Amino acid sequence: MDEETVRKVARVARLDLTDEEVSRYAADLEDILSTFEVLDEAPSTEDFNLDPVPVEDRLRDDEVLAYPDPARLRREMRTADGWVRGPRLT
Amino acid sequence: MNGAELAAAVRRADGGHQVFAERLEDPIAYEGAHAFHFSAKDNLCSIDFQTRSGSRILEGYRPPFDATAIERLRKAGGLLIGKTNMDEFGFGSFSANSAIGVPRNPFDRERCCGGSSGGAAAAASLIEGHLAVGVSTGGSISCPASFCGVVGLTPTYGRVSRWGLIDYGTSLDKVGLLSASSAPIRRYLPVISGPDALDPTSQTQPPLDMSGGVDSVAVPEEMLADLSDDMRDAFQGAVGKLEGMGVEVRKVAMPALRYALPAYYILATAEASTNMARYCGMRYGDIVEDTDLGFNELFSSVRSRDLGSETKRRILLGTFCRMVGLRDRYYIKALQVRQLVIRQYEEVFRDADAVLTPTMPYVAPRFDEIEKMTALEAYHADILTVPPNLAGLPHISLPCAYIGGMPAGMQLVAPHWEEGRLLSLAERWENELQYRIPEGRA
Repeated sequence: MDEETVRKVARVARLDLTDEEVSRYAADLEDILSTFEVLDEAPSTEDFNLDPVPVEDRLRDDEVLAYPDPARLRREMRTADGWVRGPRLT
Repeated sequence: MNGAELAAAVRRADGGHQVFAERLEDPIAYEGAHAFHFSAKDNLCSIDFQTRSGSRILEGYRPPFDATAIERLRKAGGLLIGKTNMDEFGFGSFSANSAIGVPRNPFDRERCCGGSSGGAAAAASLIEGHLAVGVSTGGSISCPASFCGVVGLTPTYGRVSRWGLIDYGTSLDKVGLLSASSAPIRRYLPVISGPDALDPTSQTQPPLDMSGGVDSVAVPEEMLADLSDDMRDAFQGAVGKLEGMGVEVRKVAMPALRYALPAYYILATAEASTNMARYCGMRYGDIVEDTDLGFNELFSSVRSRDLGSETKRRILLGTFCRMVGLRDRYYIKALQVRQLVIRQYEEVFRDADAVLTPTMPYVAPRFDEIEKMTALEAYHADILTVPPNLAGLPHISLPCAYIGGMPAGMQLVAPHWEEGRLLSLAERWENELQYRIPEGRA
């Protein structure tokens, strides 16, 4: 992976990297990606899933669930006048 | 152990080996009625303690709830004594990538505990009668269990609820248990297992059956290629002991396992890079009060300052593998390979009750050796633990030998949902080999 690609990927991932980091990660990732090439030899299959075991959705009864404890949640989060407070941003 | 003795043991373990990210400090807190004591890896959310997952970016994060595994152990009468040190977000094999504390091996302080549940394995080794809750994505229970000379069980993916677990690789993360012997794991695995409405992946599991056993094991020959010489000898010795117990040992070929390590690193980092997006200075831990920066600048500045070097490496790798034009080559291919690996194990399980390998290619390395490793060499340490983790299969690491005073482990892998047979073999194995207790555990 060249340094320009590392800079592009870092921008997408919201990481500011120093020049030293860019050059180090470029070398590391080049090394690592070259070992991924063995996968080109692996046979393809249409039969695959996102999880290693079968997972199916089970719906619970449609009831109000106050979890986690709202009082504790308010206490642990930064709140003002009952609202969750975020940073001021420009 | 009474409360005062337990408090002293915990203080000694932590002082000598940096086991805990945070723990009960007041000796009074160890008094009172509890059936057993346990710790949790610091990526499991808990009331009463910070949960930082080894990262500066979560400094000060106090979850308003307990992870399901912790809640169930507390309800069973357990006392949570602290949160154990780990690699940042689980990214490592030596617990050396931590912003909070790097645990030291119970048998030699100059050596690592393994990772990423290193503090958990050290706690299991150093505190008598202790149950440590760990988490494995690609081998983070087996590896430290092997390096610290304890028993580590990683259940089937979905057996234990992941509610309250700080995600690393969502399709790979498994909550499991470590202890100095198999008995506490046999006792408390049923407590933490079972469906949980808060984790959909836990809801389709069959009931836990603790009655199975292991009469035959398959040893995949290609997985023994990269062992150190002393590890090879130690493993052959363990195989001989198993045969002496009447376990049939057969050599098999499992060629698909050679694809497991790259497929794992693609899936794990792809999933991790999306899971890491939530750490941006606004929602958890180190929250920015007010700023004149825009969103992008704020997120980038906080992430760049607070995330460790290995975390950044994995975010870069995972983000790259998900980019337009590369998704089919990497991510989809890795999903296909996972299916091939699962099929290969299923074939072998037709004729064998479990698959056996050493747990790690070598004993716990020294910290100066770890510093000299390249990223690729460090990733390669996981070569034996990754295949069952990628496939979501239950596995156990048991101490099998001591090399120059350092413990070595063997790893047994069972079919999905068959944790019980692994624990039955572990119990029998403990009649063959007396596990050593480190001097640090007085």
